[in-house]
Amino acid sequence: MSDNILELRKATKLYSEVPAIDGVDFELRRGEIHALVGENGAGKSTLTKVMAGVVTLSSGSMLIDGRPVAPRSPLEARHLGVAMVFQENSLVPTMTVAQNLFLGQERFYNRLRGIYIAAQQFLQSLNFDVTPTATVGMLGAAKKQMVEIARAVLHQAKIIIFDEPTASLTPEEKKYFFDLVRDLKRRGVSIVFISHALEEALLLADRITVLRDGKHVVTDDAAKFDRARIVQAMVGRDLSNTLYGARKARVRPPGARALTVQNLKMAPIVKNNSLSVFAGQITGVFGLVGAGRTETFKIVAGVLKRDFVHGGEIFLGARPVRFRVPASAVRAGVAYVTEDRKVEGFFETMSIARNIYLGLLAKFPRGRFLTSRTEADRTGESWISQLKVRAIGKGVKVVELSGGNQQKVVIAKSLAQEPSLIIFDEPTRGVDVGAIVEIHDLINRLADEGKAVVVISSYLPEILAISDRILVCRQGKVVEEFSALDATEEKIMYAAIH
Amino acid sequence: MGPRLIGVLRSLADNWLGRGEATVTVPSFDGALKPNQQLESAQTVANFDAAEDLASDGENVYVADGPVVRVIEGIGAREIRRFDRQISALCCLPGGGLAVALAGREVRVFGAASVAQGSVAFPDAGMNSVNALSAGPGGILVATDGSRAQTSERWAHDLMEKGKTGRLLSLDPATRRVREIVNGLAYAFGACAAGGEILVSESWRHRVLAVSDDGRKRVALDNLPAYPSRLSPAATGGFWLTCFVARTQLVEFVLRENAYRGRMMKEIAPEFWIAPRLRSGASFEEPMQGAHIKTMGVIKPWAPPRSYGLVIRLNAKGTPVHSLHSRVDGVNHGVVSAVEAGGALYVLAKGPGRLLRLPLAGLEAEMVR
Repeated sequence: MSDNILELRKATKLYSEVPAIDGVDFELRRGEIHALVGENGAGKSTLTKVMAGVVTLSSGSMLIDGRPVAPRSPLEARHLGVAMVFQENSLVPTMTVAQNLFLGQERFYNRLRGIYIAAQQFLQSLNFDVTPTATVGMLGAAKKQMVEIARAVLHQAKIIIFDEPTASLTPEEKKYFFDLVRDLKRRGVSIVFISHALEEALLLADRITVLRDGKHVVTDDAAKFDRARIVQAMVGRDLSNTLYGARKARVRPPGARALTVQNLKMAPIVKNNSLSVFAGQITGVFGLVGAGRTETFKIVAGVLKRDFVHGGEIFLGARPVRFRVPASAVRAGVAYVTEDRKVEGFFETMSIARNIYLGLLAKFPRGRFLTSRTEADRTGESWISQLKVRAIGKGVKVVELSGGNQQKVVIAKSLAQEPSLIIFDEPTRGVDVGAIVEIHDLINRLADEGKAVVVISSYLPEILAISDRILVCRQGKVVEEFSALDATEEKIMYAAIH
Repeated sequence: MGPRLIGVLRSLADNWLGRGEATVTVPSFDGALKPNQQLESAQTVANFDAAEDLASDGENVYVADGPVVRVIEGIGAREIRRFDRQISALCCLPGGGLAVALAGREVRVFGAASVAQGSVAFPDAGMNSVNALSAGPGGILVATDGSRAQTSERWAHDLMEKGKTGRLLSLDPATRRVREIVNGLAYAFGACAAGGEILVSESWRHRVLAVSDDGRKRVALDNLPAYPSRLSPAATGGFWLTCFVARTQLVEFVLRENAYRGRMMKEIAPEFWIAPRLRSGASFEEPMQGAHIKTMGVIKPWAPPRSYGLVIRLNAKGTPVHSLHSRVDGVNHGVVSAVEAGGALYVLAKGPGRLLRLPLAGLEAEMVR
C-alpha cells in the first residue's frame, strides 16, 4: 500500500481559460496534517475543492489509495472518504444542529428524539458544547464551525479538509480545535487545512505546501520552515517585517469624543456596555467570541436594536442618537464594515462599481429617483484605483474577486459614504498577507485624516499593531482599556478571560 | 396646552422606557479618564482632622483645616491663622493676599497670608454655602455659593433634593460689593478664571460651565462620569479639576425615584443613604453596591464605587488630557482640591483627610504619552 492516501498529478483547473490551479502536484500522506498556505487567489481553495468533489479537474489526475478517481460531487467524494469543512459554512440555517449532522443520512422513518439523542451523545464524545436542538442560524460562527467539524467526523472520513478552520474561533477554541485535529490524526485520519495564520501552520502541520498564483512553490516538513521562509515563498517578497507591522512607538492623541456608549443593553449579549471612541485615533476592540463586541457596534450602526426599555444611550459627539435602520446611521456619518462580507458586505453577482455605488446611494435620505450609470462607473473607478482593488475592470462581479479584494470593495462601499466614524469588524479576516498590509495602511490613513476609527479583531497581533488604544470586552461589556504602548498579548488576554 | 400635554406624555413615556431625562446611564471612565492608581500611590504629606480646601501662591501650600489655616512645611503643617468658625473655602490672591470663606456665609480678604487683621470682609446675608474662592479678572474675587437651601456639609441633602440654587458670585474688594453673576446652578462647587471667562463646576449636572462676566453660559465640559468640584490653574496651561465622587447607576436610579428617595431621607440616617459619600466601607450598614461585592476575596477595582478619588487635568480648551485616580479598592477618596506648588501637585483627599503630593514632572510625562 502506498504511503500516500491522496495524490494529485499535474492538476489543472481552468475558469474561462484562466487557470485557478496550474499543473499542481500534491501528495497527502496517511495520518499526516498537511497545511496549504498561499495568498488569496493562490489556488488553495480550488485545490481542496477538487479533492472534495466540488469542482472537477480540467486536466491532470487524482488518486486515492493509488486508484484514479474523479469525484463529481461532494457526495461522491464522501463515499471515497473525503469530507470538507468549508470556510463559508454549508449548514442549513433553518434546521437544528442534529438535523444538520444527520442531513443526507436520513432513514425511511426518522424519529426526531432519536436524532437528538444520537447527536447529543456524539457531540459529547467530541466534547463540543453545542446544543443539538438549537437552530443553526442562531449559532455564532464558532459553534457553526464546531457543527461542521462534527459532521465531517460523523461521516467517518479518511481525509478531512479544513478551509480556514480557525478564522472565527477564539484562542481557546483554537487550542481545542488543534487538540481535536491531533486526535483525528491519532485515529488515522489525514488532514488538509488551509490557513492564513502562519503560526498555526507551523504549530500544527507535519508538512506545509505553499502555492502561489495557482502553482506549486514548495512542499517540505514544517520543521524546516519558519515564518519568514513561508511568507517569502507565498508572496515572493519579504513581508515578515511589515505583516501587521512593528509595535507602535507613539500613539495618536485622542481628539474630540466622537462616540459615547452608555450602559447599552441588548439581552442576552450586550450587558450594560459603556465606552467612548475619539476622533483621530484607532480604537481597537478585542474580546473572545460572545463578548458582545460586534453586537455593540452593530447597535451603534443601526444593524441591531438595543433593548427597548432601559436599553442605554448612544451619543454621536454630544447628540443622543438611536438608529433603527443602518441607513439613518450612514446619513449621520457612521459606517460599519461587516465581519461577514459574503453575507452582509456586498451583492456578489453585481459588479464592483455598482456595489460601491450602492454604498454611496445609502447616504441620500430618500434614495435617488434617478441613478446614473456614468456616476456609478466613475465612483467605482475612483475607489478601485484608490484602494488598489486588483480586478480586470470595474464591471467584474465581486464574487470573482479574491477575499482581500472583496474586502476592499466592502471598505470602499463604506468610505464612499464619507463617514466620520468607521467601524471595521475583523477587517483582515480571510485576507491574504499582501492585502492585510494595504488594508492596515488605509485604516491608519483614515485615523491620520482625523476620522474616528474602530477596529474589532480577534487577532491579537493585529490589535496590537494597529490600535492607539485597546478596549477589551468580556461578557457583554468593556472591562479594560489599554494604551497600545502599555498593552501586551498577555495583559489583553488576561483581561478578556478573567 | 398642546405642547404641555405632549411634554407630560413624553415624560411619562420616558419614565417608563428609561430614556431622555429618565435614563439611568453613566458615562465610562475611558480615554483621558482611564483609571489608574496614581492617587493611591501618591506620597502622603500630612493628615488632617477637618481639612476642607487648599490654596497655593506657587511656592507654599495652605490648608484650611477646620477653623485653622496651616502652611505646609516639609512633611508637617504650621498654623498661621485661626478663626472662630469653620473655613469652607480658601484661596491665594495675586500680590500675596489670602481669601477665606467662613462657614459658607462670610468671605474675608487679607493683604497677606500671615497678617492678623482682615482687610476686607463681605458679610453678605445671601451667602449660605460658599465652598470655593478664586482670583478673578480685574482684581475681583469669584466665589461659588453651592446651594441656598443647604450648607456645605449637607451637600448630599442638596443632591437628593435635586437642588438648583447654586450661584456664582463676584466680590469686588475695592467696593465691597457682591454681585451675582449666575444663579440656578445645580450645586456650584469650584470656579477658576479662564481668559475672559470663569469656569464653574456645576456638580449635579456633571459639567463645567464657562461663564462670561455678563452671566452668559456655555458648556465647556459635559457628561462627566463624576461630580466635579474645585478648579485650579496649571502652570503649563490648562486646569486641574477635582471630582469628589463618581456617579453610579444606582444613585442615578434613586435620583429619579422620588417617592423612594423621600422616604429614604425621612427614615434613614444620611450616612446610610443610597448616595455618594466622601469615604466608604466604614460600616456594614452602608448600602451594598457593586464595589462591595468581593470576588474570590478581592474587590474588583472597576466596580461602581460609593466613594472615589479623581483629579482631571484639562487643557486650555477644557478638554480632559489625563486623570489621576484612587479606585474603589483605594482610600484616597473624596478629592476636593488640587493645587500646584514648587514643582508638585498637592491633592486634598477629604475622605481620609490626607494631603497628597505628586511630582509634576512625572505627570507631564504621562500627558505627553
